[in-house]
Amino acid sequence: MSDPDGDAGAPIFTVSRDGAGGDAALLRRIGQGDEDAMAAFYREHGRVVLAHVLLVTGERALAEEIVQDAMLAVWRGAGSFRGESSVRSWVIAIARRQTRDRRRGRRLRVVDDAFLADQPGPGPGPEVTALDRAELAEVKGAIQELAVPHREVLGLAFGSGLSLPEVAGVLEIPVGTVKSRLAAARTALSRILDEKGQNR
Amino acid sequence: MNADTRPLHLDLGDLIAEAAGQPIGDRAREHLAACEQCQLEANRWNLVADGVRGLAAATPEAVAAPEAAQPARPRRTGQRVPAGAWRRATLVVGSVAAALVLLVGIGAVTGYVHVHLSGPGTETALTAVTGCTQLEQADGTLEQVNGSSLVIKTASGRPVTVTTTATTFVSMSGPLLSDITDGAPVTVRGHSSGGTIAAAIVTVGPPSSAVSPPGFVPVQGTVSDATTAGFTLVTSTGSRVPVTTSSDTLVVVPHASPGQLQAGATIFAVGHAGPDGTLSARGVAAITQFRSGATLHVNVSVRDCSPSSITEALAAISTAPVSAG
Repeated sequence: MSDPDGDAGAPIFTVSRDGAGGDAALLRRIGQGDEDAMAAFYREHGRVVLAHVLLVTGERALAEEIVQDAMLAVWRGAGSFRGESSVRSWVIAIARRQTRDRRRGRRLRVVDDAFLADQPGPGPGPEVTALDRAELAEVKGAIQELAVPHREVLGLAFGSGLSLPEVAGVLEIPVGTVKSRLAAARTALSRILDEKGQNR
Repeated sequence: MNADTRPLHLDLGDLIAEAAGQPIGDRAREHLAACEQCQLEANRWNLVADGVRGLAAATPEAVAAPEAAQPARPRRTGQRVPAGAWRRATLVVGSVAAALVLLVGIGAVTGYVHVHLSGPGTETALTAVTGCTQLEQADGTLEQVNGSSLVIKTASGRPVTVTTTATTFVSMSGPLLSDITDGAPVTVRGHSSGGTIAAAIVTVGPPSSAVSPPGFVPVQGTVSDATTAGFTLVTSTGSRVPVTTSSDTLVVVPHASPGQLQAGATIFAVGHAGPDGTLSARGVAAITQFRSGATLHVNVSVRDCSPSSITEALAAISTAPVSAG
């Protein structure tokens, strides 16, 4: 696994996406200094990466900076991409590390990942009822109030087009933990919706 | 040792994959289609997934607009930055901003500005759905079916990928006489003469309140003795009613699967746009062939954002060749 960011603990990906051959060719061209390829790469992945980082950070300017840094890292490290993962998950993993580094400095919302991952999925209860009653606009608002790890796993699973194994690769956790974290995120989301419903 | 050890209901991985538009196994899909409890769970995950996709879809325009004129340059010094590449890359963002001048519709979505763009190079393949600002529409000709995903070629020539899930309403209609088979429950609408019904519309499957074109009295029953020229409708009281069909008979299958759809059909899909331009469909209507050969352009209109409203709107489109005529 190449690591253009020079970050330790880079995830090892084993899952490839359909159509990754085109992306891989693009990366090879970028590695050779092809500026048109870099522009094409930005067109292909920039929006999705930006959307994900914005979902996690909640700050537009910060998200733009992170995406630009991630794209710089792609430009510098594209030649070492070995195709062991999908290009999409590779660049998102780069952006995630950039985001994590920024969060360390800014001390955004601190949540214990292990605690979040170990939370059981939702059983029938008021939270589920809240989700059944919720409108899409309310759900979007509630997602933005979730803790960072919850927003992150939801964004990767549903907003980035990654499979569960790819999400696990980006987050550097087992697939089972991805599932439990997603379940925990939904529980937290439902509770937010429930609280909002009770306050109306 | 061959006992089926699968759990009674879909596991979390299947539910998540379903909501994410990833493929799930045939058995899981079949179970989901029949299990109300799993459908409720799938709907909850779909709502969460739609929320994420909705936020993501609103992001690019919201970010690009104010920054595009002077995109931020990399701030670090001493890095080998490809000035040309960055100029080109940021020009992509800039082109979005330029297209803002040509914007055709703006709607507020949870604090973001949701912009539908049009213009050279940025023409969107998705259009707004009247009655629900959260929904978008893609229509065109069906080019490919890849499992649960459809590829539509729009009028502008741009392909759009439409993803479906087991809870997506998928209907198909057209001169699909081969879908009228013995034993199938049907609802026949047509003109009665001498005890025989000349079928204008045959709806295959359980009675659907969504399919209710005006001007016809529906007769329900089961198909017997089906041929290309007609069949016998056996009603619940045991009455046998002769029904004639022709190439003018519109056959509607309101609960079809993506795999049943035929390439070349005219497709209307309604759902939520993803950040990569795909449409996560809540409903799809496929019209195999118009008798007139004409192309239909319909701006889908819904009462509200509910699934039932989407179903009604697409069912109405399914019967458009007859009910509009």
